[in-house]
Amino acid sequence: MIRLNNIFVKFGDFQALRDINVHVKEGQFYTFLGPSGCGKTTTLRTITGFIEPSSGTVLMNGNDITHVPIEKRNIGIVFQSYALFPTMTVYDNIAFGLKIKKLGKKEIDSKVRTIASKVELSDEQLEKAVSQLSGGQQQRVAIARALVTEPAIICMDEPLSNLDAKLRVQLRNELKKMQREFGITTIYVTHDQEEALTLSDCISVFNKGVIEQTGDPNEIYNHSKTKFVANFIGDINKLEPSITSQLALSENHNHFIRLERIHVERNSDSGFTGVIESEEYYGLYIKYYIKVCGQVLKVIEKNDGFNIYKAGENVNVSINPLDIMSYPKE
Amino acid sequence: MMQKTNSFDAGFIAKIFGLVLFLYLFLGFMVLPCLNTLTSIFTTRNAQGNIDPFAVIKFFMAGTMPLFVWNSLKLAVCLVITVNIVGISIVLLTEYFDIKGANILRMGYMTTLIYSGVALVTGYQFLYDSNGMMTTWLAQMFPMMNRQWFSGFNAVLFTMTFACTSNHALFLRNAIRGIDYNTVEAARNLGASPFRVLFSVVMPTLLPTLFSLTVMTFITGLCAMSAPTLLGYNSINPEIVRLAGSSAADESFPQARAALLSVILAMFTIILLSILNHYERKGHYLSVSKTKAKLVKQKINSPFWNIIAHVYAYVLFIIYMTPVVMIILFSFQNYPAIRSKMLNFTDWTFINYLGTQNYEYMTSRGRLRTRIGSVSGVFSNADAIGGIRLSFIMSAIAAALACVIVVLAVSYIFKHRNKARAIVTESCLLFPWLLPTILICYSFRIFFNREVWYVFGNNLYWRENVRILIVMAYTVTKLPFALRMIKAAFYAIDDELEDAAKNLGASPVYTFLKVKLPIILPSVLAVFALNFNALFTEYDMGATFQSSYGKTYAMIIQNMTMEEGREGYNINASGRRCASTVFIMIVSGIILYLVYGVGARDLGERLEARKRWRQRWRRLTGKKE
Repeated sequence: MIRLNNIFVKFGDFQALRDINVHVKEGQFYTFLGPSGCGKTTTLRTITGFIEPSSGTVLMNGNDITHVPIEKRNIGIVFQSYALFPTMTVYDNIAFGLKIKKLGKKEIDSKVRTIASKVELSDEQLEKAVSQLSGGQQQRVAIARALVTEPAIICMDEPLSNLDAKLRVQLRNELKKMQREFGITTIYVTHDQEEALTLSDCISVFNKGVIEQTGDPNEIYNHSKTKFVANFIGDINKLEPSITSQLALSENHNHFIRLERIHVERNSDSGFTGVIESEEYYGLYIKYYIKVCGQVLKVIEKNDGFNIYKAGENVNVSINPLDIMSYPKE
Repeated sequence: MMQKTNSFDAGFIAKIFGLVLFLYLFLGFMVLPCLNTLTSIFTTRNAQGNIDPFAVIKFFMAGTMPLFVWNSLKLAVCLVITVNIVGISIVLLTEYFDIKGANILRMGYMTTLIYSGVALVTGYQFLYDSNGMMTTWLAQMFPMMNRQWFSGFNAVLFTMTFACTSNHALFLRNAIRGIDYNTVEAARNLGASPFRVLFSVVMPTLLPTLFSLTVMTFITGLCAMSAPTLLGYNSINPEIVRLAGSSAADESFPQARAALLSVILAMFTIILLSILNHYERKGHYLSVSKTKAKLVKQKINSPFWNIIAHVYAYVLFIIYMTPVVMIILFSFQNYPAIRSKMLNFTDWTFINYLGTQNYEYMTSRGRLRTRIGSVSGVFSNADAIGGIRLSFIMSAIAAALACVIVVLAVSYIFKHRNKARAIVTESCLLFPWLLPTILICYSFRIFFNREVWYVFGNNLYWRENVRILIVMAYTVTKLPFALRMIKAAFYAIDDELEDAAKNLGASPVYTFLKVKLPIILPSVLAVFALNFNALFTEYDMGATFQSSYGKTYAMIIQNMTMEEGREGYNINASGRRCASTVFIMIVSGIILYLVYGVGARDLGERLEARKRWRQRWRRLTGKKE
């Protein structure tokens, strides 16, 4: 569907993207994930045509669109701020692209109302100003406006970042539902790893203008290829030599383990002995800070209501070497 | 490929045309006239007929001219003190302290927003001059009082003190409303008294705003025109206007002296604005609070000081409101009542507004004479109507021109943000801000009072052409204000809107017309309305051009103060002046309501208002929804 081949983007002396290769398949929900300034939005803007790469090609269904103007790429965009035109009603916002295509009034009306009903916007809401809608409704307008022109793919640039936490989770689910219903290829940009893991079919993790790893959420989380990916996705413990030496792990590598892969038990002979330093109660689970061999390990235990440990309590901590992710020291 | 070449050509031609037009306007109507004024100082011929670069300066130092500069400086310094005292007082009394009737007091203090300029000065003159109603009343209370107190410096200072608090009423009020009340509570909690809180916590946060207001007041005092002219005070501006109308046959090099005075004024203005700019760049105190609490008015615990504060507040209210109320009342009075400055509660009339009446009078030889139609209303008087029409048209054209020029320029500036050409364009538009209005107008008057090749060989000061000159001067002087306001509106446009429109296939022109322009339109209309409002009753520029072909409404109002008293002619000129003032207040009031009331609503609020109107209409007509 969309293929980026060896994309380089330079702003003055600053190399924003280096050798970016992406392949987005038809109907996929593809996410660019990474911290601020890592190049994910630049990559998206290269696909949409706002940025022309210094070198490399952008292919769409096998056709080179690297130098095709934005409006001729047939790519819909949902912006971070939604970019809804504040002086127009919801109806006029959605109809904007159709009017530019000079469609007839009846056709515009029919298309606007069809897409509006699909994204669950009522006729009454269509007559409102965008400022009169809630954050969630505004997001639906932005999606409807992007979809009404029937683009081949839709690009979303952190569309949930301006919302509060609760609404973000709610809209995340709606977004996934809509994407499945429309079956449209979606490229999504976010810095929120939880959002990326829950929504995506495929994720590319960006760092300093390069892609560190591409894979499905499970691969990215459980088999992080680089130290950066391991650290960026979820919480993780870096094991100190006091522990790694006892596990006979290589000294030339850094070793990491996810919090939920460490197991805590009472009165067991296996593993290391440790002392609970403190605990954080989250309801669904409890996070413990356990001092093991001079290092404080973070551990997550499911809250079953029975095995709850208190600060100062002695426990046994077991680590399965197969759960450890190791990366060569730099 | 062919198409690409054409678009390149069209774009290139448009760029060249834009550049040439911009240079023509900037050099032709800003730089050259002002440069001419500057060079005229140093190209004066002395008594021997030789060019002496220092002739005017020597004359300036030897003669009485420094007195005008000194008088202007004295007025500016005194104004800074009095305006700040009154301005801070009115804001604290209505926004900080718990004074009974604060809403009514605020309305009274804000009357200067709709009642200003020549209308205000003539109104004060009407009430406070030697036989004015207020002076008569005060003289009855204090028989030893000097009835001539309202003249010269005293009159100018008194009038301008109350006329110049509009900025305090707007900006200081906003600043005080921006204070986080939690900081006041914290200080009170730590044991500070309300007055200690005021001086230690509140006032320091207001200092940047106060500094800006002080500089602006100083410049206003320095460049004062209508009050010194009408109330008789020898400051720089009235002298420049007098010299501009004088000839070498009457006195030594009047034009060069006028030029020198205007350049001195410009130097002061540039220095003060540079100081202001430097201070503003240092930044303001910003509230670091994320959960700002609304300011709660402070009770004055001491009964004595509470009474004093209330008395002070209402005395100020009376001073602000008396001219407004009196002018409104007198505008409905007959000329005998106006002439005697005594209200006649049994006889009210609309003659000062509409219609004509004959005037009968006895001559010194005992004959009864009748002047037909000598008593006329402001909307039935040819002069007044002419002035209103001319001011209306010229102000509307100039306000519209300033908006169009600035919208195009700001669009260009934003397109080339952070590039040298954008900075140069912006600086050119801000150029008139550095120069006093009088320098620009004087330069226009002198420079274009001859055939100038680049205006097709026309003399723009000749007969009706002066109207073009006035429109140009109006436009040029309003560019900086329009630039600051419209640029701020452009900043409010989210860059992603343009990207979104582009993505949906809109061309740059379509995006500008359908997306950007509707967003900035309320601000552009507000700038248009505020500029129009200021120009409609503008006095300083009209007075500088002094042309019978360019008699603006303010000049007509000024003439109304002079015409009265001539036997049988324009016998109700004072009444017409009162009616004019009421008319100006109504126009200003409507404009301010449209700008800050209706114009401030976004689309959602407008749709809500429309919905409410529809519901009301349905209820009235009994139609079902």
